Amino acid sequence: MHVLTDNIGFLMGGVLITVELTVLGFLGALLLGTILAVCRVSPITPLRVVASVYVEFFRNIPLLSLLVLVVFGLPDAGLTLSTFVSAWICLALSGSAFACEAIRGGINSVAVGQAEAARAIGLTFTQNLRFVILPQAFRVMVQPLVNTFIGVLLSSALAAVVSVNDLTGRAQFLNLESAEAVLCFLFAGAVYLVLALGSGAFGGWLERKVAIRR
Amino acid sequence: MPAQPTLSRRAFGASAVAVVAVLALGACSSSKNSPSIDGNVGAKAGSAYDSLITAAPIASSGDVDANTWAKKIKAQGYLKTGGTDSGPLFSIKDLKTGELTGFDAGLSQMLAHYITGKTDVKGLTKLTITTVDTRETLLQNNSVDAVFATYSITPERATKVNFAGPYYQSGDAIMVKKGNTSIKSVSDLNGKTVATESNSTAALQIKKLAPSAKVLLFKEDAQCVAAVQQGRADAYVLDQGILIGDAQSNPAVEVVGGDPFTVDPYGIGLNKDSDAKAFVNAFLQKIYDSGDWAKLWKATIGTVVSGNAPTPPKLGSVDGS
Repeated sequence: MHVLTDNIGFLMGGVLITVELTVLGFLGALLLGTILAVCRVSPITPLRVVASVYVEFFRNIPLLSLLVLVVFGLPDAGLTLSTFVSAWICLALSGSAFACEAIRGGINSVAVGQAEAARAIGLTFTQNLRFVILPQAFRVMVQPLVNTFIGVLLSSALAAVVSVNDLTGRAQFLNLESAEAVLCFLFAGAVYLVLALGSGAFGGWLERKVAIRR
Repeated sequence: MPAQPTLSRRAFGASAVAVVAVLALGACSSSKNSPSIDGNVGAKAGSAYDSLITAAPIASSGDVDANTWAKKIKAQGYLKTGGTDSGPLFSIKDLKTGELTGFDAGLSQMLAHYITGKTDVKGLTKLTITTVDTRETLLQNNSVDAVFATYSITPERATKVNFAGPYYQSGDAIMVKKGNTSIKSVSDLNGKTVATESNSTAALQIKKLAPSAKVLLFKEDAQCVAAVQQGRADAYVLDQGILIGDAQSNPAVEVVGGDPFTVDPYGIGLNKDSDAKAFVNAFLQKIYDSGDWAKLWKATIGTVVSGNAPTPPKLGSVDGS
């Protein structure tokens, strides 16, 4: 146990990086996913096609391949990003494909009459989206989006492969020093479990709070 | 049945720009002149390599029967090894034949040949890919019979597993991008970004000898080389033999600093509860004496490190062995 208690500050620093990466990655995924979802429900065919291709691409490429492409491929194109930023971009790209589908489901659940009524009272497109459709849509997508969040959290562990010093990376480093693989990874696993369960519980609370009773 | 809200055309223009920008970012990741991130350096499989293995000694059936661990392996017909198939010089899979070659791989094949007497080199061992995270555990639960994985003997690890050997004395060296003159020795690494493999003890050595260096841990050797070549890292620290091999196949990088700055003894990892250690040490002593160890060195590490094979380290000479 002393390997954990002696290095708790080091490990908690890793937890912080994992949380930062997850939150930033999820926010990116949410933003991109919303834009994509709007494209996917749009009446303009090229936009729908582009968004569909994007979703199918990033939903079906392993995150690890994406990480290697961004970390070792982009520098050849003249763009060298820090490994943290690279991992963040990858999480946002792959998360956005899943977020898009969750949001699209939410938008589709808003009755078409709502949009028509909003246009009838003279709301512009932006106002329509911002005040009528998305607020209603986001309420039904709380759970799917929490699943996306948990997905981003758990995939963030892969960032350790490209040298991001997150919780997994630090657990690996401690194991290198101490040869206590089981303890180090039990700790890391427990932290991921607590974070994921916590997000799930928060999602449940949020859903109860914002649910529309129909 | 929910229907899609109809939205105006104008606003989609803006979102389309964003989407295309993101796709373009994804697309520019592929490039024609990418550095190879699956380097294949070291001995190639072939009849010369195979006959090197099969010419090594075979244990007498009395020796095998007297040892529970060896007897079990003879009965199962092959050696279950833990290691890697992507380690240049030490254990790398020949992409054409699928055969594992290298110094570690060769030793494991010689040991399997020693116990079973079989001569089908490819079938002598069955490899389970291990990482630094799993080596002790796989040995403890008997998923593998022995680990050959440039496995540095440390006192901490020796509390978990037994080490036969040391069978090879290595040391860390420094690789930089060709033309980088700011790094000449390990102390120059302070304040620099240094890449190394996440499963190597080099990370611990850097922490000790250049405490203010920023360490980047990558999964594979080839990724570390790419990091140096692309400027993500100022230097790459790892076993000298591996770095020299990389530098030979990649003209954009070079090894600096002369002799290795650490002493890193490699051992064969074995289950602590088995009687394997004495048996494997006896095997190592046999191939030291017969010259097969030196021949294997020449055929693998010796392809990139010049000079004659070194004198093999004395068995049991380091803490933990």
